Amino acid sequence: MTGMFRIPYLQRVMEYLAGEIDAPPEGFPVALTNFQFWGLWWCILVGVIYIFSGQSSKFIYIDF
Amino acid sequence: MTTKRQLISAALVLVGGLAAMNLTVAALTRNSVPRRVMRHARESQEATVVALGNSLVASGFRESVFDSATDLRAPRGAVNLGLGASTPVEQLLLLRYALAQGMRPQLAIYGFFDFQLTEPGKVSIGDMIGNRAMDYYIEPSYGRRFYSLSAHDAVEFRALQAFPMFADRGAIWAKVEILRRTMGQQGLPAERSNQFGRAADFTLLEAKDEQEFRQKCEDSLSQPLSPAVRELLRVASEAGLAIAMVEMPMRQAHRRTFYDNIGWQEYVAHVRKLLAAYPVTFVDASHWILDDAEFDDPLHLGEKGAEEFSRRLGGELRTEMATVPALRVTSHPGESGTP
Repeated sequence: MTGMFRIPYLQRVMEYLAGEIDAPPEGFPVALTNFQFWGLWWCILVGVIYIFSGQSSKFIYIDF
Repeated sequence: MTTKRQLISAALVLVGGLAAMNLTVAALTRNSVPRRVMRHARESQEATVVALGNSLVASGFRESVFDSATDLRAPRGAVNLGLGASTPVEQLLLLRYALAQGMRPQLAIYGFFDFQLTEPGKVSIGDMIGNRAMDYYIEPSYGRRFYSLSAHDAVEFRALQAFPMFADRGAIWAKVEILRRTMGQQGLPAERSNQFGRAADFTLLEAKDEQEFRQKCEDSLSQPLSPAVRELLRVASEAGLAIAMVEMPMRQAHRRTFYDNIGWQEYVAHVRKLLAAYPVTFVDASHWILDDAEFDDPLHLGEKGAEEFSRRLGGELRTEMATVPALRVTSHPGESGTP
């Protein structure tokens, strides 16, 4: 797969993972029936939300 | 169709992932600032002088300079347990922690800023991040007595306490914030900053103007010492410590705008009256550092200012300390400095 095709492919993967489309792009190894993967995916989402959820805090001190 | 078993397997992976995240956060924050201060307390059991307060003390008190000025010698010298972004509650918890670890100091130096001694301890869970995360892991039930939380926050406090991901979330967010600031600074002139944060941000901790400060002085004239300060004084007195309350050095702008007015003088007189019930020596160090260049930012002393302050404080308290048997510095001729 060349770089040109990689971006649309990744876009479709993200759309699939986020629930925007129902079918994975061709060649994507994870199916909806793989529930361990979805558990892991939720973990990643929780982690990303956790890391960036402090953005609304006004930090004066930053040395923790 | 999704079966119960499939959902359970996904949930188990999620729970496992969350456990791993908690372990990761616990590992990443094992050297957080409060834990470093606690470690310093554990490693300084023979210290005879303990300095407590917020970042003004953390950055302004130099143990070795104070020791030289008072002829004390490590390890029986001073230990700085000042903690940035802390309130009297955390400072009380640190004193108790030090005592519980076997430290038997004879003198507590407590540096304060503006209305710190009389501010009521009303907080929300959102405030308990960063260094204040120690409220979750040092005597949480005891500490809870000194700040009031809403019913909702009280339940949340208990629920969050067990999870490093929540208790120490501020430390992780701060790392993200540092990254965000670094990225935001690309191509721009460097902003002045120090160990605590962006220098300019610290003006946000001062009153907006003279009028607001004067109003606060008036309002605070009827305030008692905050429960945490009272408890700190009680704990220190019961442990046999002499106490030095130090009005910390301020920049010229802060002194002129806020401290050099009648309202502040009345407030300080009020505080001194409240402190009279305890074995307290009041030290007004607010005008000790006259050169603003010796400040690192609007509030914190830089290296040179910290040395000057610590030296002068040592000189000031030297006479005071001579009345405390364990700190008497002239009792053994030829062994000057060994109490």
